[in-house]
Amino acid sequence: MSAPLLRVDDLEVQFFTEDGVVRAVDGISFDVREGELVGLVGESGAGKSVAVSAIMRLVESPGRIVGGRIEFKGETLIEVERDDDGEPYRTDATIPDGELRERIRGREIAIIFQDPMESLNPVFTVGGQLREFIELNRDLSEREARETAVQMLREVGIPEAAARYDDYPHQFSGGMRQRVLIAMALACEPSLIIADEPTTALDVTVEAQILDLVDELQERYDTSFVWVTHDMGVVAEICDRVNVMYLGEIVEQAPVDDLFYDTQHPYTEALLDSVPRPDETVEELNPIKGVMPEAINPPAGCRFHTRCPAAREACKTTNPDCRDVTDGVTEHRAACIKHDAFETAYEGSPPLETGAGGGFDVSLSGGETDD
Amino acid sequence: MTERASSVSDGADTAGFGEPLVELRNVSKYFANEEGMFSWLSFDRDADGLPVETGREWVRAVEDVSFTIRKGETLGLVGESGCGKSTLARTILRLLEPTEGSIYFKGTDLADLSGERLRNTRKDIQMIFQDPQSSLDPRMKVGKIVEEPMQAHGMLNSEDRAARAQELLEKVGLDPQHYNRYPHAFSGGQRQRINLARALSVNPDFIVCDEPVSALDVSIQAQVLNTMRDLQQEFGLTYLFIAHDLSVIRHISDRVAVMYLGQLVELADKRELFENPTHPYTQALLDSIPVPDPRADGHRGVLEGDVPSPIDPPSGCRFRTRCPELIAPAEYDLTDGEWERVRSFVRHVKRRDFTETDPDTLRERFFDGSLPGGGAGALLSDAIADIAADDWEAASERLLSGFAEQSVCAREEPDYEVEPEQGTDRHTVACHLCRDGQD
Repeated sequence: MSAPLLRVDDLEVQFFTEDGVVRAVDGISFDVREGELVGLVGESGAGKSVAVSAIMRLVESPGRIVGGRIEFKGETLIEVERDDDGEPYRTDATIPDGELRERIRGREIAIIFQDPMESLNPVFTVGGQLREFIELNRDLSEREARETAVQMLREVGIPEAAARYDDYPHQFSGGMRQRVLIAMALACEPSLIIADEPTTALDVTVEAQILDLVDELQERYDTSFVWVTHDMGVVAEICDRVNVMYLGEIVEQAPVDDLFYDTQHPYTEALLDSVPRPDETVEELNPIKGVMPEAINPPAGCRFHTRCPAAREACKTTNPDCRDVTDGVTEHRAACIKHDAFETAYEGSPPLETGAGGGFDVSLSGGETDD
Repeated sequence: MTERASSVSDGADTAGFGEPLVELRNVSKYFANEEGMFSWLSFDRDADGLPVETGREWVRAVEDVSFTIRKGETLGLVGESGCGKSTLARTILRLLEPTEGSIYFKGTDLADLSGERLRNTRKDIQMIFQDPQSSLDPRMKVGKIVEEPMQAHGMLNSEDRAARAQELLEKVGLDPQHYNRYPHAFSGGQRQRINLARALSVNPDFIVCDEPVSALDVSIQAQVLNTMRDLQQEFGLTYLFIAHDLSVIRHISDRVAVMYLGQLVELADKRELFENPTHPYTQALLDSIPVPDPRADGHRGVLEGDVPSPIDPPSGCRFRTRCPELIAPAEYDLTDGEWERVRSFVRHVKRRDFTETDPDTLRERFFDGSLPGGGAGALLSDAIADIAADDWEAASERLLSGFAEQSVCAREEPDYEVEPEQGTDRHTVACHLCRDGQD
């Protein structure tokens, strides 16, 4: 197996707010190999976006990367250790800001954000923005860059590319704007594209067009992707491997088929159970109990135990790391102590009342809450 | 909850379960397109010739929509953004006046009502909005929010209102102790529950829900959907449930209506619609949804281009400019394969997404070297000559008026009914493909 293109190791990002420290990303590790599309999935507030923005060192104040290491093609994008006082500092292995900006961002790693309107400057033409980006990053003359830009627009399926070159972003529909951003991301033929919920704001038929486009382009350019989404449907459609995040941690890591057919973590299972299906009629949905706790004050022990149908006493005290749970048969890791890989007292531990039934009492089934 | 029945003082319902509660007859709603206001809507070069000149234009947001909603059912209304779902909802609530057509509620034309009688009817029709954040006044306590509609309609005294508000909070799955909290203290899902409680407070018969769960996380979505369904059974509610997410629609609805560009394209029983989708747009919509199953065979991305502008919608069937199954014009005797190639050629010329202009290359690339015979062939070679002369506009114009505009899809507005495969409910489809076997 080839060495990973991107390796994220024990990444920690914290936000220092007035109310206290928010551990938005709390020690996650994952990797991306060449030509692979890796998903990062979870509900809002799970820390997905913060995690990917850390890859490009784009975490904004009051946020800070306080630990971990990110390696890309053998180079250290960031490595943070703590000194004797516990104060985090960047090690010398970290490449300097200027170099990151010039060599990596845009050229080697590109980002596509959720809202295509906010990523394009409304006062410049679409073509002009694309051209400038190509001109700066690929050292082409203005005219060559312009030709490349039109070519890229055509490639991502913008009709009448040459004529639309001089249009402004507001003259494009949402789907077309997202295509422009994809063109921009691909323009420098980067090895890795980070896509942060790129289709969430789009209609389904447009989303389908974009997913098709990504499929096609990935085949042609062999680009790797980190795809952030909350939609299990999108995950099933396009991802090769998936990382499921909950409250700043990765709770399950698996190839996409195993994730859906051999689910190992109760959270993933609950998430899959709670989505209505487009392809079959489900009579009663089985929602996850309660809401995700605040990251500022996460539950002790396993962070999911407050909502978990399989929670036991032991879950209150042990916060499991993500371990191989299939004896190395597949690359399937989960952070749940119910597995043998964790030598804890789960078996003998009494079940917690909260999740025992697995059902959800807030719904008004029968007369339960009636009197 | 027996007490609830006694607090309903609006007399016996005139509609029994399963009978029409709300009826729309040929409802249209147009908006004047004032300068720039809808400029984002009006742009699409894919459509055939859009007006760019100034002057009064009408955005035909909803056009000629008719359907009935039966008491006790949930009618799902689905469509993409900009198709007129929300406008239709607001028109039904009479927050907007319909430009044409009439809306009947319990047999009364809402347009005939005004003043006190309209106010009284409003009590029976409530609404839940998409954004749970902005639909609650941040300066009002939750209890007051729930009581406000009752107060507005002069229901109960203040003590009873407070008691009822607490009871309703419990009904929708909140803690009655939260009566004195402010909305900011609640999560999105909980706020949507407050909205539910507020809507229920005046004992409505009919609730219009405009994308009530699309702003919520999936796990929360499921909780709220379950609650809505339980409340429907308990209170005998009728929902018009608007969403763009077909999975949600499939879960909650009894019957489903699909809208495209201001018009209804298909209406059928939920099972029928999902098992036997007949309109090409419905099929495309269903094929486009990502299925949460990696082993499902994906066939997505069937639709090309964007939705045309509602200012100057396509003639005949509004979906025809994007329809993968456009019917060949009857005057040319084309085989299916030939028609397929012609359409692909027209599409590429319209999008101008190739650069070759040499006639032989074009013939080779799009028609395997030989053009179809007859009038169609002549038309195509004229268009190819236009392209060789670098006059793309003319080529595109020639092809569109020669082929697309000649199709029955462009000439007549479709309106058919098909035999349902599932159940017995009427299945109406606005597509000329259904014309066989019709009168």
